[in-house]
Amino acid sequence: MTTSTKAVSRSGWQRGLLDALPLLGGYIPVAISFGLIASQAGFSALEATLISLFIYAGASQFLLVAMVASGAPLWLAVSMTMLVNVRHVVYAPNLVPHLSQSRAWPWLMHGLTDQIFALAHTRLAQLEDSDKVSWYTAASLLAWASWVSGTTLGAIAGDTLTQQWPLMDAVMPFALPALFVVLLAPRFSDRLWFFTLSVTILSALLLAMTVVKNAAIPLAALAGGLTFYLLNKPQHKPEPPHAN
Amino acid sequence: MQTEVWVAITVAAIGTFAMRAVPLLWTQRHFNKHKANNTQAQLPTWIGVLGPLMIAAMLGVSLLPKDASVAGWVATFMGSLMTIVVWRKTKTLGLPVLVGVLVFGVAYAVLV
Repeated sequence: MTTSTKAVSRSGWQRGLLDALPLLGGYIPVAISFGLIASQAGFSALEATLISLFIYAGASQFLLVAMVASGAPLWLAVSMTMLVNVRHVVYAPNLVPHLSQSRAWPWLMHGLTDQIFALAHTRLAQLEDSDKVSWYTAASLLAWASWVSGTTLGAIAGDTLTQQWPLMDAVMPFALPALFVVLLAPRFSDRLWFFTLSVTILSALLLAMTVVKNAAIPLAALAGGLTFYLLNKPQHKPEPPHAN
Repeated sequence: MQTEVWVAITVAAIGTFAMRAVPLLWTQRHFNKHKANNTQAQLPTWIGVLGPLMIAAMLGVSLLPKDASVAGWVATFMGSLMTIVVWRKTKTLGLPVLVGVLVFGVAYAVLV
């Protein structure tokens, strides 16, 4: 399981499962929380599970359930859900240069969460074309299954679980930032990307501590984009006047 | 649950899937058109830049510890630092994450 281009002898399926393992540390505790919150909001375990199965988009699911439970107009709840998920629009185009020829890709996009995108963006470029569909299918299915089963568990026994293992609940989600650190580390290779990524990370962290937490990701990406543009802008210095 | 709520959930599910799949189809069509003309297709620069930026933004958001106490912040710092140290040594994906989580967990358990 390397982040370099070194060939690995495992099949695409095996590599996909292994690569997606760190995601479970982040997915399962959050899915349990979602199941618990959905059940407290009046959804049955089956209903909460179906939401995770079909919408499968973390933050927006919390928002949707909270808005439905609070009696907000349904059109507004759906609009806000879509607004939170609109960042997904830029994910697939970034993967296209690395995809193999297969009719399965559009259907597999149901599994294109933030974390699967981050993983695929790094990994797909390093795989043989013949392994790409199996790698992506294995990684995204494992993540999806953990999200759905975590939701069911949370809806049925979330209260008991979070009370019995509070430390586990606090520690396991660190797998996500650790994974993102590893995925981004190779990109800190030049000055332009060092500053661009640092501004993005810090902006996101600061925004996540404010009331605009749900918009932190797109806003921070915007700040990073601006930094990239400003640093990358060609410098047109006026030529010194010629001495006659 | 009321039927209207299920309709809302179905619309949200279809909309979310469309936001993930439709841009793929558009971009694939763009790439295939270039391929047919024997020309090199390229992503618009802003899309190519936005990919790593979205990952960086996710990292920033996920660095906020669930328990935003001193223990949570120190554990986050130590866990991140050790993740980077192990990545620099091994250039692997799994081991740095595992070590990072373990260091985070130990630091948090000691400090909390």
